[in-house]
Amino acid sequence: MASVTLEKINKVFGHDHIIKDVDLNIGDGEFVVFVGPSGCGKSTLLRLIAGLESISDGDMRIGETVVNELPPRERGVGMVFQSYALYPHMTVYENMAFGLKLAKTAKETVDERVMDTARILQLEELLHRKPKALSGGQRQRVAMGRAMAREPRILLFDEPLSNLDASLRVQMRNEIARLHDRLGSTMIYVTHDQVEAMTLADKIVVLNAGRIEQVGSPQELYQRPATKFVAGFIGSPTMNFIPARLANHADEGCQVDVEGIGGITLPQDAGHHAQGDALTIGVRPEHLTLTEATADNRFEIVNVEYLGNEVYVYLEPKSGETLLIHRSEAPSQWKVGQQVALAPDPEHVHLFDDKDRALTVKGARQAA
Amino acid sequence: MAMVQPRSIRARKLGAHVALLGFVSLVVFPLLLVISISFREGNFASGSLIPERFSLEHWALAFGIPWERPDGSVIQPPFPVMLWLWNSIKVAVVSSVMILALSTTSAYAFARMRFKGKAPILKGMLIFQMFPAVLSLVALYALFDRLGQLVPWLGINTHGALIVASLGAVALHIWTIKGYFESIDGSLEEAAMVDGASTWQAFRHILLPLSVPILMVVFILAFIMSIMEYPMASVLLLDQDKLTLAVGAQQYLAEHNQRWGDFAAAAVLSGLPITLAFLLCQRWIVGGLTAGGVKG
Repeated sequence: MASVTLEKINKVFGHDHIIKDVDLNIGDGEFVVFVGPSGCGKSTLLRLIAGLESISDGDMRIGETVVNELPPRERGVGMVFQSYALYPHMTVYENMAFGLKLAKTAKETVDERVMDTARILQLEELLHRKPKALSGGQRQRVAMGRAMAREPRILLFDEPLSNLDASLRVQMRNEIARLHDRLGSTMIYVTHDQVEAMTLADKIVVLNAGRIEQVGSPQELYQRPATKFVAGFIGSPTMNFIPARLANHADEGCQVDVEGIGGITLPQDAGHHAQGDALTIGVRPEHLTLTEATADNRFEIVNVEYLGNEVYVYLEPKSGETLLIHRSEAPSQWKVGQQVALAPDPEHVHLFDDKDRALTVKGARQAA
Repeated sequence: MAMVQPRSIRARKLGAHVALLGFVSLVVFPLLLVISISFREGNFASGSLIPERFSLEHWALAFGIPWERPDGSVIQPPFPVMLWLWNSIKVAVVSSVMILALSTTSAYAFARMRFKGKAPILKGMLIFQMFPAVLSLVALYALFDRLGQLVPWLGINTHGALIVASLGAVALHIWTIKGYFESIDGSLEEAAMVDGASTWQAFRHILLPLSVPILMVVFILAFIMSIMEYPMASVLLLDQDKLTLAVGAQQYLAEHNQRWGDFAAAAVLSGLPITLAFLLCQRWIVGGLTAGGVKG
């Protein structure tokens, strides 16, 4: 087990600058999830940590050792690949024993470690099968077992669940969470699925276009997103964004004029922004209230989705293409075609400036 | 596949079989004829497919056994055919193994490593390979003549020279193996390297075992080429006891004394190592080795 420290890490492929000045501390035993849209550099960052790609600039330490120049085999990491990458010509046992044998471990120790790992992952029955005779979930577990058998200091997961079907994914997600509790080793996990990130992570790292947008606990990211990108990425259905203008600074915060909704008073500190500056408010679907339409506040319901326990109501925005979403518990009285007024709950409204940075609530401590 | 078929398919099937049988006989007939000539009395190229007068004379001579004709005269074997065959096998095995080792490692570099000038080198190799090797025979002779003065076992009239000369023909094999390597997911080797393998160990323990089928195909191709190779062997080898079978067998066909029967027996013999190599290798030529390793 070990900590990982990244200092001003950069990665350049030809003319593409993939990773830009990434600083990050990963504590011993932490479960850290890298999340972001495809192409944001999250897998590249993981491969840099594994040593499968070389760092263009910056310093990386695992524990106290600078590992910039170390090949993967000397870094003490285990990795679960998205494609599983099981050795097709070896049995499950041989797959798990491969790394130990390369390290010239005594035969009894190899046996012991493989059997222990197999027991944890319930692979005992499958040890003598070849990968092609396994189901997707079993292959996934073998891939994890192979990474664990060497007892690496850090376990890396590269979108390990993306090839599984939905129900198996939930099951394996639980198993990974329990595994982390049990092993207590440092785990770094890459996914594009914010649900996986929220449910697994001690600490989420949101990446966008090669930069870190925000680092924090799932709760911090959900409640106090630092940027509009994070706000839109975390949470499902996604946050509603509505254009607004700063109307006035107020003692308790500020007043904004929201397009199609009208004036509301928010607790955020508008700071140096001047009257009339363009802002954006962000409201989660559950923090919108639908009421009787008025002359100035009138939205048409274009779709209603019934999900059993809850209902999503889609509304046509005044401008922009993305529909606004309202979430409420089922049953719902709303029908397609109805005209309604929107009332955001000021306590839960996020406010972003023209550079997509979140404005903080007056008097509140700075968001971590 | 039990798809519903229209009735007329029977006629078409019959037609296809007739056409295929015709094609097969086109291929097999010359071989049968050579075998037939080798069992025929006398040294004639023409004659019927089934020998009218059966004789083992040509085969006995090929195996180096003196043959006594019915009239009492004893014919001594004119040439050391078995020695030639042995020479052929020796050269073919050594050069094929070396070709395989060279082309596999080069193909790995071309398939997996990033280096400057990769594309031009690959294309260049293919283009240079297109010039007929025969055109460079003079150069080869001069080169090995000179080389022999420094390293005797690489000079003219040595099997070493022939083997080294045959290593030039690896470009095609590199392309073949490279294509196969590229079809194997690179994450397998990456997994091995994270597991503690060096680049060589990942190549040796992961990529090579998965590539056995293509390696066998390349081995057989190289083996066949070497057994049948004539131009280089005829220029580089001089002494009768150094010749390969492909070159030596030509000596049966002297201008005024064409011994077709003896030649045919030697020709059939030269097919023997190829058949054996193929039978040995074919059980490794199977598909589906990489099944189940990766998904997505």
